[in-house]
Amino acid sequence: MASGPLETYSPSQTLERRHQQQKRKSFNEIDWARSDGRNFHQCRPAYLRTGATSSASGSAYAEFGSTKVIVSVFGPRESKKAMMYSDVGRLNCNVSYTTFSTSTRGQGSDNKDFSSMLQKALEGAIILETFPKTTVDIFALVLESAGGDLPIIISCASLALADAGIMMYDLVSAVSLSCFGKNLVIDPTSEEEACQDGSLMIAYMPIRNEVTQFTLTGEWSTAKINEAMELCLDACSKLSNILRSCLKENVLDFTD
Amino acid sequence: MVGLSAGEKQFMHGGIAQDLRSDGRQRLQFRPISIQTGVIPQANGSARVTLGATVVIASIKAELGKPAPLRPDKGKVVIFIDCSPTAGTMFEGRGGEELSSELSVGLQRCLLGGKSGAEAGAGIDLSSLVLAEGKICWDLYIDGLVISSDGNLLDALAAAIKVCRFIFLVRFEISSPWQVALSNTGIPKVSVIVEASAEDQLEVNVSDEEFLQFDTSGVPVIVTLTKVGRHYIADATSEEESQMSSAVSVSVNRHGRVCGLTKRGGAGLDPSVMLDMISVAKHASENLIAVLDSEIAAAEAAEDDGS
Amino acid sequence: MEYVSSLTGFRFDGRRPNEMRQIRGEIGVLAKADGSALFEMGNTKVIAAVFGPREVQNKSQQIDNQALVRCEYSMANFSTGDRARKPKGDRNIISYSADHGSKYINTFDASFSGKNLKQIDIFLQVLQADGGTRSACINAATLALADAGIPMRDIVTSCSAGYLCSTPLLDLNYVEDSAGGPDVTVGLLVKMDKMTLLQVIALMPTFFFFCCCICFVLLFV
Repeated sequence: MASGPLETYSPSQTLERRHQQQKRKSFNEIDWARSDGRNFHQCRPAYLRTGATSSASGSAYAEFGSTKVIVSVFGPRESKKAMMYSDVGRLNCNVSYTTFSTSTRGQGSDNKDFSSMLQKALEGAIILETFPKTTVDIFALVLESAGGDLPIIISCASLALADAGIMMYDLVSAVSLSCFGKNLVIDPTSEEEACQDGSLMIAYMPIRNEVTQFTLTGEWSTAKINEAMELCLDACSKLSNILRSCLKENVLDFTD
Repeated sequence: MVGLSAGEKQFMHGGIAQDLRSDGRQRLQFRPISIQTGVIPQANGSARVTLGATVVIASIKAELGKPAPLRPDKGKVVIFIDCSPTAGTMFEGRGGEELSSELSVGLQRCLLGGKSGAEAGAGIDLSSLVLAEGKICWDLYIDGLVISSDGNLLDALAAAIKVCRFIFLVRFEISSPWQVALSNTGIPKVSVIVEASAEDQLEVNVSDEEFLQFDTSGVPVIVTLTKVGRHYIADATSEEESQMSSAVSVSVNRHGRVCGLTKRGGAGLDPSVMLDMISVAKHASENLIAVLDSEIAAAEAAEDDGS
Repeated sequence: MEYVSSLTGFRFDGRRPNEMRQIRGEIGVLAKADGSALFEMGNTKVIAAVFGPREVQNKSQQIDNQALVRCEYSMANFSTGDRARKPKGDRNIISYSADHGSKYINTFDASFSGKNLKQIDIFLQVLQADGGTRSACINAATLALADAGIPMRDIVTSCSAGYLCSTPLLDLNYVEDSAGGPDVTVGLLVKMDKMTLLQVIALMPTFFFFCCCICFVLLFV
């Protein structure tokens, strides 16, 4: 599937080296190899393309490892009649899974939690004042779920919004991280997610330096949160550059 | 929704900037909190928490169930929150569903550590709920009900769930025959006899006399910091919440460790502000835990007198 | 099963056949509602909240010379012994709510029907169900309406009764209620001596209407 250039957005090596030095100091470090051969602070290669569906105002396809997501954006179009007048635009998000997205055949249901999380992650980035009385619909479909679904959906949706020409303050990129004992593992796969001790997800606008969505589960010390945030924010900025270059490529294709 | 005039908004913002809110509190001060335990006799544990004009009830019920195939050594905990229309006309019909599910997810994340509840930091020790590995376990159903709403529902609900635990340990001691007739109080001790039959069936004896002591003392509290204008405040009322740009809910346990975090509201936050809010929330949680502890002690004394 | 002891003539919970459970009412329990009340009948506990009179939200429902009374009834997940989830859209509950509403229309004074504010919402939340929830709801709603200061012709009170072991029993609890005997719920306007509600489940001899008519003096705490 991935024919274009594969890019990765792992946080800086210098940062990583520093962490590894810290780790060497701490004893009893349990090291293990990740199933796909990455090291702890290495993200999966990201493949992103815009214009995946032709009927939508904007769309994007994302493939991070074997997690595959397609997002289409419709609108801005007139809000439903039942909705009250609003002088700012509305954002409507829907995240659904295909029946074949997981290894056991699922129900292919909508995911309401993810839908509301996606909405909150993007709301702060979109200039809603530019389309009063109207609604932008975002439909995300997870073709294959292999870990880190939500951050990938968020990044892919912000790319699709940009493709649809919706005014935004900045592109939102999102990265998740799992915590295993003392180790922080960035961009976890679904097997890793299943046995994690804690997790952290950040959606970030690098240019405005603003976090739009942040969730954390499991037990954390403040120092560890600092470390994890630093890693994620660095990865987010890099991912944002990839998103940006993907959009530029698209424009170049048009001019050719 | 709360409608505020321009003047009222300005007054509120000005007050917050000067560290004196409309009701006379400081930015990080909580409203007086009061607790009543054992309000639902049919449940294994229950509590009502009143935080200003916010009133919530939490109840915990234990039922026998089967562990999930992927986690044979763990019991299950389900959190479900409902917003009663008595709290406001906006919760009429299906109106409360969105908020209810947001609160349920928030609590799940903050108290159980993710949906599966398998992660460390969960205040409830799921392994202690298992009676026979892979076969039978306790399912805990945590139900929250919002009776009256004046902001900061998440913190109030978490506090209510936290103080429920006390009843778990004490309920059986004070259970009168009258209450036993209605339902079993406390978690009855169950002995499981494994038979080597082909159907792999279990015989379960539920004893009414012995009770399992259930330890949930590690359940964290949630402190929500709401950002209004340039400052952030603790325990916002619904007027203040209507003016919020974003809010961060941090759950902190007794040892001062962060157990979960959610962000509400669309507006972005600077990462350094976020870290600042986490450390402030940790400080505020110490006070909140102390207040809850003394309230629990008071409730305990009251129940002792009553029995 | 023996619901009334043949030896002592007492019921399960130690009451006499014509004895009510302990009742307790409290008004103004919710700060945010216009009127509210908590009503307990033994272990049955109901909270009622009244919002209004306010402008009619859905103009098509407006009635010219009458107030629009809407009622919503919900049961908490923990209200019953076995935890069963009751979705809010339950048809039973909707019809239940509807006839609750219609009952009250007659009780309001005509005097305020001329005004613009014509919608009154009554929300009932059952915290604990131990039989007689319907009559507890009616009593709680009455208290809440009075607390909200809505002019009423009279105070509505309600009570249920059943017939088990060839004995008429007043104010059934959950065990007696689910025994399958006939039961009746009565709503009364005490001073006007009129009946606003009569709901009969299963056939029953008429004689013990009298039992139900022992309506209680309201508790204004």
